[in-house]
Amino acid sequence: MGHIKYLLIACLPLAALGSWQVWAHHAFSAEFDANAPVTLEGKVTKVEWINPHAWIHLDAEQEDGTTVAWMVEGGTPNTLLRAGINKRSVPIGSEIKVRGYQAKDKNCKPACKANGRDLMFEDGRTAFMGSSGTGAPKDGSDPRAR
Amino acid sequence: MLNQWIYEFALWVDGSQWSTMLHESYYMYNWVEATHVLSLTFSLGLLFLIDLRVLGYALPNVSAVEVANRLHWPMLLGFSVMIITGLLLFYAIPVRSAQSIWFRVKLLLLVCAAINALLFHKALRRAAGGWSDGLPAPRALRRGAGYSLLFWTLVVICGRFIAYDWFDCVKEPHPLMATLAGCVAGQEVF
Repeated sequence: MGHIKYLLIACLPLAALGSWQVWAHHAFSAEFDANAPVTLEGKVTKVEWINPHAWIHLDAEQEDGTTVAWMVEGGTPNTLLRAGINKRSVPIGSEIKVRGYQAKDKNCKPACKANGRDLMFEDGRTAFMGSSGTGAPKDGSDPRAR
Repeated sequence: MLNQWIYEFALWVDGSQWSTMLHESYYMYNWVEATHVLSLTFSLGLLFLIDLRVLGYALPNVSAVEVANRLHWPMLLGFSVMIITGLLLFYAIPVRSAQSIWFRVKLLLLVCAAINALLFHKALRRAAGGWSDGLPAPRALRRGAGYSLLFWTLVVICGRFIAYDWFDCVKEPHPLMATLAGCVAGQEVF
């Protein structure tokens, strides 16, 4: 019995590590700010169709007419394919509207960063672009989120 | 200088077509990454069992040498899958990985773990003749088992943190951090 007790004690840190990894798996809370929702509209400047997260770069239009460079994180290429988006869906120069959440790190180097929640194409179609489900935190904006 | 060489090597790897294909793949990257993580749970699970047995915390009724001998080959099989998939993950994302402080610390820890494993293996061979299983393991063995648990736990933690971009070169981190991470002044690929 004594040995089993020690084994359990030895495993505690590992168990803690395990549960912490589950928390960190969805990188959202580590890198993005659920209290900083953003809506970005502008022309696509670059698309990185890469694992583990795709990035869509755009020049978001400001109210004063200037633009600010943003890069928006999506799920994996595979996740996006399932959500109905592929590399040809967002050609360079096309107008898109993205809703998402800004990164906690707001220094905007080399571009302002956000985690994408959903994406509206030029023709008005929409698709989710997050990594799991909508990829969005439960903030009430998605009635289907459980 | 060293950082410049590493960056140029990573750029060279990054320029290969297969690297880009894996990086942009719809299925293969996911399979490689999932296999990497699963094989690590397999082989580290076996390794930790050996370590805990040597320390006297697991399987007290089975001889430590027997536990080590039986688990040796399945564990090495798991390790080889882990190393191959790990190399593929680096191959897919060479520049960012080579300039990740977590990846660099992880590699150093892997070297420590490998040296420790060699010493542990030698000590186990030496002890096998003269050490009766009812007694606590010789000190060299227990120390090796402890270091093994420590190094590999830190390797997994560092591996997990590679995913986060806090110290990425593209964010121009603190100069000291930038040097440790291997950022190169004026680099154009990240």
